[in-house]
Amino acid sequence: MPTVTIKNLTKDFGSTTAINDLSLEIEKGKITGLIGADGAGKTTLIRLIIGLLLPKSGSIDVLGLNPFTQKPQLVSKIGYMPQKFGLYEDLTVIENLRLYADLKNQPYEFDKMLEFTSLSPFQDRLAGALSGGMKQKLGLACTLLGTPEFLLLDEPSVGVDPISRRDLMKMVRDMISPETTVLWSTAYLDEAHSFDTAVVLDKGKVIYNGKPHDLEESPKEFEDKVIELMGGYKNEPSKIAENYVYSGEFDLEAEQCTVVADNLEKKYGNFYAVKNNSFCIKRGEIFGLLGPNGAGKSTSFKMMCGLSKPTSGTAKIMGIDILKNPAKARSNLGYMAQKFSLYGALTVRQNLEFFAAAYGIGLFDRKKRVDEIIEVFDFQDVQNQKSEDLPLGFKQRLSLACALIHNPPILFLDEPTSGVDVIARREFWNHITSLAKKGVTILVTTHFMDEAEFCDRISLFYKGEAIAVGSPAELKQKAGVSDMENAFINLIKESGK
Amino acid sequence: MIIEYLRRILALIKKEFITIWKDPKSRGIIIAMPLLQLFVFANAITMEVKNIDTVIIDRDNSVESRELVSRFEHSPRFRKFYFVDNEKDFQAKIDNQKVQIGVYINNDFSSSVKSKKPTDVLVIADGRQTNSAAIAGGYASQIIEGYNSEITGAKGAGINPVIRNWFNPNLEYRWYILTVIIAMLALVITLLLTALSIAREREMGTFDQLIVSPLSSFEILLGKTIPPLVIAMGLTVLMTLIIVAGFKVPFAGSIWLFLVSIFVSLLSIVGVGLFISSICKTQQQAILGVITFQMPSVLLSGFISPIEDMPPGWQYLTWINPVRFFIVLTRGIFLKGMGVEDVWMNLVPLILIAIVTLSLASWTFKRKLD
Amino acid sequence: MKILSALIKKEFLQIIRDPSSIIIAFVLPLLSILIYMYGVNLDSVKVTLGIKNDDSNSEISTLVKSFGHSKYVNSIVFDNEQELEEAITRSKIKGAVIIPNDFSTKISRGQSGDLLIITDGTEVNTANYVQSYSTAIANSWLNTSKYKYLTENPVVRPVLRVWYNQDLNSHYFILPGSISVTMTLIGILLTALVVAREWERGTMEALLSTQVRKIDIVLGKYIPYFTLGMISMTFNVFLCVGVFKVPFRGHYLVLFAVSALFLFTLLGVGLTISSKLKNQFLASQVALSIGFLPALMLSGLMFPINSMPRFFQILTGILPPRYFITFIESEFMAGTIWSLVAINAVFLTVLGLLLFFLVYKSTDMRLGGK
Repeated sequence: MPTVTIKNLTKDFGSTTAINDLSLEIEKGKITGLIGADGAGKTTLIRLIIGLLLPKSGSIDVLGLNPFTQKPQLVSKIGYMPQKFGLYEDLTVIENLRLYADLKNQPYEFDKMLEFTSLSPFQDRLAGALSGGMKQKLGLACTLLGTPEFLLLDEPSVGVDPISRRDLMKMVRDMISPETTVLWSTAYLDEAHSFDTAVVLDKGKVIYNGKPHDLEESPKEFEDKVIELMGGYKNEPSKIAENYVYSGEFDLEAEQCTVVADNLEKKYGNFYAVKNNSFCIKRGEIFGLLGPNGAGKSTSFKMMCGLSKPTSGTAKIMGIDILKNPAKARSNLGYMAQKFSLYGALTVRQNLEFFAAAYGIGLFDRKKRVDEIIEVFDFQDVQNQKSEDLPLGFKQRLSLACALIHNPPILFLDEPTSGVDVIARREFWNHITSLAKKGVTILVTTHFMDEAEFCDRISLFYKGEAIAVGSPAELKQKAGVSDMENAFINLIKESGK
Repeated sequence: MIIEYLRRILALIKKEFITIWKDPKSRGIIIAMPLLQLFVFANAITMEVKNIDTVIIDRDNSVESRELVSRFEHSPRFRKFYFVDNEKDFQAKIDNQKVQIGVYINNDFSSSVKSKKPTDVLVIADGRQTNSAAIAGGYASQIIEGYNSEITGAKGAGINPVIRNWFNPNLEYRWYILTVIIAMLALVITLLLTALSIAREREMGTFDQLIVSPLSSFEILLGKTIPPLVIAMGLTVLMTLIIVAGFKVPFAGSIWLFLVSIFVSLLSIVGVGLFISSICKTQQQAILGVITFQMPSVLLSGFISPIEDMPPGWQYLTWINPVRFFIVLTRGIFLKGMGVEDVWMNLVPLILIAIVTLSLASWTFKRKLD
Repeated sequence: MKILSALIKKEFLQIIRDPSSIIIAFVLPLLSILIYMYGVNLDSVKVTLGIKNDDSNSEISTLVKSFGHSKYVNSIVFDNEQELEEAITRSKIKGAVIIPNDFSTKISRGQSGDLLIITDGTEVNTANYVQSYSTAIANSWLNTSKYKYLTENPVVRPVLRVWYNQDLNSHYFILPGSISVTMTLIGILLTALVVAREWERGTMEALLSTQVRKIDIVLGKYIPYFTLGMISMTFNVFLCVGVFKVPFRGHYLVLFAVSALFLFTLLGVGLTISSKLKNQFLASQVALSIGFLPALMLSGLMFPINSMPRFFQILTGILPPRYFITFIESEFMAGTIWSLVAINAVFLTVLGLLLFFLVYKSTDMRLGGK
């Protein structure tokens, strides 16, 4: 008997249909991956399954219970980890665990869990002070308490480094019993490929339901196949790059590098968040900052754009010191923050118009430029929606659009693709590489190792220091492996010894 | 250059307006709350003590004592009367706050009146009920004195006070309360609009986005100042119109001076609000900041009790309270037609407060990088 | 039971981690009591008066002097009528007494002499003081002057006694009364954000996917903030009685029992705001605009409820501080009067239960529109 049986399920939000006459069975004792483009209805489906939302029509049967009327009985049998993990950030690790143990009527036996998550040394740290990867592990640990029969994970690996991702996967597989059913929504197709079943959603409908290996043997081919199912990725020349015109002048004689970090250091008390960080990025180069969560990438990033003051060292943009002449330095900069940080109450168009004006684009040019960006980024359908209501992937795209609005010669992108679906990611990188070809200097952080391959040079960060710098090929060679993910893991492990 | 500058600021202002106005709930709170409160306060609040309920013991029960009692009964300020015949009931009525006043007439009342021998009528006021007790007691005394001067025939030398109340001939409390409350409500709205704004952007991460843009902190400051100022100004003018047209309070002064005054007053409050907001990391902290400013500034504005009656140290403290000057200006221009020179004297401290708080706020924008 | 205690424990931990609730509970009472103690003074109001004497009789100069000697008046002598008028307009003086040139002539003939009293009507309370002080000073002057044999002794004299607060120390009722206003603010501020915060941070979604029942969520908010609120209440009473020596004549048990009911209703107000709006920004706006001014103006602390028009008297019935203020002032000043305790306790209970029901109803167990 399947764990979940869904028949003709439909769910509307106002005029938009999130789930459209969907029928699906989820097999007991299997890990099912839920894949789909942004806004395909993954989160809505998970919420409907556990009764957090009520459908317009259709029926759901979960573990023999109806989530709409029998939610109280159902919740005791499931474990659900929402996108924001549901952790209390002002509580410590152990306090969070105790809280959820009490809520699920479980004893305080966390030794195994703590050891497994390697959170033991951090028991008394506030959850809010944990790195992204550790938060996710803690969230999962809380969800796994009470050995639920059915585990639902909503994009647990967003923004997590490859090592943590592996740990997370291992943790789930080790902690569950063979009878446990898992529904795992993810944007990582290599992850989905390793599951028992893959369900691909598109526009609120199931477009594929079967074994990932039946679709394609290797993760790479699987990815291509899923992309094809989802409508395909057209490898067209980037319109953004085509439209890119830099109005200033590059003065390459005076300054070899457009972005320079000179001995940047950031100290909190006796603790070095970033130590001795120097690099020099040439015009048109894509420079990647890679590293585990909490290694100091974001701090470096913030110092580079003047959001955080270095304890010592300087950061220069186009030869201008970011601290001495911030306004001038920043006018050359397009910045995309890790967390969605645009105005939620403004529509897509209003956000674009605002940032266009903030960067001093004139009224006539502004209208043209905003229209252009809306077309290039495919925002026609959503341009008048409030941006806080957009699915995560659209939000990321909008952030990039805002960063690019003034055709900056330098782009700083902090995890620009986390939470974005696979097609959008490809398009994204198409734009980025094409922009680099037109002379835009790009500083980027990412947790997708396939993306790291697009970088010209990578600085691998660990514990506040750059442990290796070089092209992807050089790094792979240094680690003695053939793919970036293993290179990353090996180099980090080596340096840890 | 200057056009580019204006363009950026305009964009900031537009963004701020959309954020404040787009959410119908937020808009409702900002408009409806002050107007509703204006309406309720205007109608409900008075210092005049009315509807006084009284308990009476008439031990004399004569023609004369009943004559005195009937004077109470005919006074429009008094409402209900309870006649009791023993002290226990008398006290019970006062204890249970059934009445505000007790009147005790002795059994020698009529004989004293007839023989012109002095006699006392005891008036008891309930000291638990604010100073309305004293006021009600005063009314009762007046009635008794009136009775006295009638039976004595008002002969002999005396003082006849001839009273002229300037600017408000009938001492209408509503005139006073409305011209003050307008400043109080403007204070509340302005703080609502400003104190949460930066803290919220910080929580949402959008403030980083602003800092990374080429906008200077002065431009950000202007963008944060103008929209709340315009909205608060609009509401204050609207409230003034309601006061003049709806509640018929005469506007004696110059409209232009009035507009300039509320503009400067609101600017100084915007400054305080933005300063609070700039030093707060979360909205929770900002709320706390607003309250710790709002409560003292209302209580120490001279509205509840005159500034001259505060201890000297506290009087100095009110010099940094913008509300103090704000109410002097609204009341003075509205009711007295205050002149340019006096308006200016009150504007100077407000301008100083605005300059200091706004500079501190803009300075904190930059300093807040960790 | 286990779930509820876990939620309560969690809430306490959060209270400890974020100092702002602790600050609200302890700093706010301290600040407000200091202000009401030193900044608000309703009894010994001292007014500045202008005096102009047009009567050249030398005896009248003693009247001018007696204005100078009064402890309630600061007097300034004017010679020029125009200067005097200007002084009133510019608020240099709060009023003026003009002695007409025939004043002594009339009195010496055994008639009433007119005394012109001008007040600044824009400050209604002060204007009343100006009237009564000037009349009283002139009358007592007359009774000690050389004209005193020309006056007629009154037959019926009012004797005013104020019960429960013989020395009419306004702090004896303001301080206990202020607890009511302060606690209103504290109760609402503590809880207005706590549910909205869980929705915004996504922790509510996680809670809803566990076996938590609706009643657990509701009580899990009520109980911790009730505890904190009661501690804050105790602190308030301690400041009043222990530090500022306000006499307390009632029973502490009764005081805390009714305070508990009061707090219960206040938490209901805050939690209703929070669970209905689910948004910290809007919840803050509402809490700030209803938390302070209505409680201050309409609870009866400053302005008598009895004098309001009937409709508005009924309207104040929805304000919890209104009941508490009546109770606490009586409990402090008159001791426990059971009928008063009962009626206010019943109203607070009804209001509290209604709000509890509303909170329960507005607690969603599923995600809303999105």
